Amino acid sequence: MKEVNKEVLKDAANRLLFDMKDEEYDTLLNEFGAIQHQLNLIGNIKGVDEVSPMTFPFDVTITYLREDEPETPLSQKDVLKNAHDVKDGQIKLPKVVG
Amino acid sequence: MNYLDLTIKEIHEALLEGKTNPVELTKEALKRAKENEDNAFEMIIEEDALKKAEELSKLPVPKDNYLFGIPYIAKDNFSTKGYETTASSNILNGYVPLFDATVIKLLNEAGAILIAKSTLDELAMGGTGTSGHKGITYNPWDKSHTRLVGGSSCGSAAAVSDAIVPFALGSDTGDSVRKPASYAGLVGFKPTWGLVSRFGLFPFAPSLDHVAYFTRSVFDSALATELLSKHDDNDSTSSYKERPNYLDLNSSVEGKKIAVINGIYKTIQDKKVIEDFDKNIEFLKKNGAKVDFIDVDTDLLKAIYPSYIVISCAEATSNDANLDGIKFGPNYGGKTYSEVMFNARTKGFSALIKRRFVIGSYALMRENQEEVFLRAQRARHLIVNTFNKIFETYDAVYCPAAPNIAPLINKSSENINEDFMIADNWLAIGNFGGYPSITLPIGLENDMPFGANLMCKPFDEVNLFNIALKIEEGTGLKNLNYPAYAKKEGK
Repeated sequence: MKEVNKEVLKDAANRLLFDMKDEEYDTLLNEFGAIQHQLNLIGNIKGVDEVSPMTFPFDVTITYLREDEPETPLSQKDVLKNAHDVKDGQIKLPKVVG
Repeated sequence: MNYLDLTIKEIHEALLEGKTNPVELTKEALKRAKENEDNAFEMIIEEDALKKAEELSKLPVPKDNYLFGIPYIAKDNFSTKGYETTASSNILNGYVPLFDATVIKLLNEAGAILIAKSTLDELAMGGTGTSGHKGITYNPWDKSHTRLVGGSSCGSAAAVSDAIVPFALGSDTGDSVRKPASYAGLVGFKPTWGLVSRFGLFPFAPSLDHVAYFTRSVFDSALATELLSKHDDNDSTSSYKERPNYLDLNSSVEGKKIAVINGIYKTIQDKKVIEDFDKNIEFLKKNGAKVDFIDVDTDLLKAIYPSYIVISCAEATSNDANLDGIKFGPNYGGKTYSEVMFNARTKGFSALIKRRFVIGSYALMRENQEEVFLRAQRARHLIVNTFNKIFETYDAVYCPAAPNIAPLINKSSENINEDFMIADNWLAIGNFGGYPSITLPIGLENDMPFGANLMCKPFDEVNLFNIALKIEEGTGLKNLNYPAYAKKEGK
């Protein structure tokens, strides 16, 4: 397990594209003591590493193809309603290539 | 006679007999919502609700449609076409969905009347009802506003408990309906995973997320399930299983085998909770149920909370990646697109939510995946295997839903510490295994309610409702709500 320090927490936050205040990292760092303790409880389970990870509550096998029926999608006008910057029928963002 | 103090079934009967009508019900619900001081709402929908009520009042009341003309409330993480929906997060301020969630659509088509959107812990990621962007939601049973109602579905719980409506939608990822139900004296029901469509419910952790709801009687939960449990092509996890008639109930526990888990039961310190729970067990036994106290490996029970936190926070990091300030939500600008996202997310998420995301991000780091994330998923597997095994022998698992009555606000903390004990987190087993799970009130302590929870194997709702009906009969707390209780007790 990666050692936890402020830099690691900042990296974890920045990977998700946000930042926190310095004192918030301190708060979280303090909390991580309790979190580490909790995580160790998982490791205490006998045979925990001998089963597969569970990603859904139970097996669901859904195999189907939708009927080829036409649907009316949302209109361009509607889709753009919630966007902050719109230009020429598209969402406007800062230039990617200079 | 105020009809909003009644159950859905009773209001429906009054509508059929012409004793009340949708306009009268809606006007009274709106009045109560506006007078409410528990900070339960994001938005009250007055004009459209009244308009719909007037239209419905012109129609005959359909005999077999219980929800017709019934005012209801939806947690503000359900998409509602044309109404701002923020999930109590500033990152979604101003976002107006372009479609209705499937459950909203089904309710609206049945003639239920949406009168408000309710507050929640930000993005449904909390258990106290204190972290939404509108502040703390208070427990209607404590007019001094010192106790929380629980979360994340705090506003919906407060509204049903205060008899503003007889039905409210919530969502339940760990216990977000079933725990506040215990604190507010309500019936809180989470159906089997996949039974009710989640299309239009803002995702938090899809392997654990459920649509769930508050009512004031077990039968009302059953009738809502009868309406809402439809297969939906818009939800890829929606079950194709044929649904039985959820109203074909007999409330019998004759010959039923019920398991009480020692490792949960014995962690409850509150004597009154245990006393009333024991009384209820005796009642069930007298009515023909066989109740066994059984052991489960304590290490598994201790791992419920950490496994839940790791899995839910990790799943949330990817589910909330679309909250970028670009397609919707406040945009604070930036020199590059990633700076736009960075600014929107830094300013839009509260400190608490950021901490949860960081835990998820940490769990998913390459160096930690095996030891943290995958190990939590493995623990989940073992916990579910254990309970699946119990359900091979027993019809249900039954335990107190929470360790005590609603905690004091200043004594509660969202910070993760060792105080989170087994009794406070065991309801997440229902989410791990997708089990149908219902909390219902079993007693009061110092005028504050508390509840117990019943779980069954997946898709065993009819069995669950039958046992729950008998429990309700034993407690005599059907239709518990604060206004009626206060009146009775002369408060």
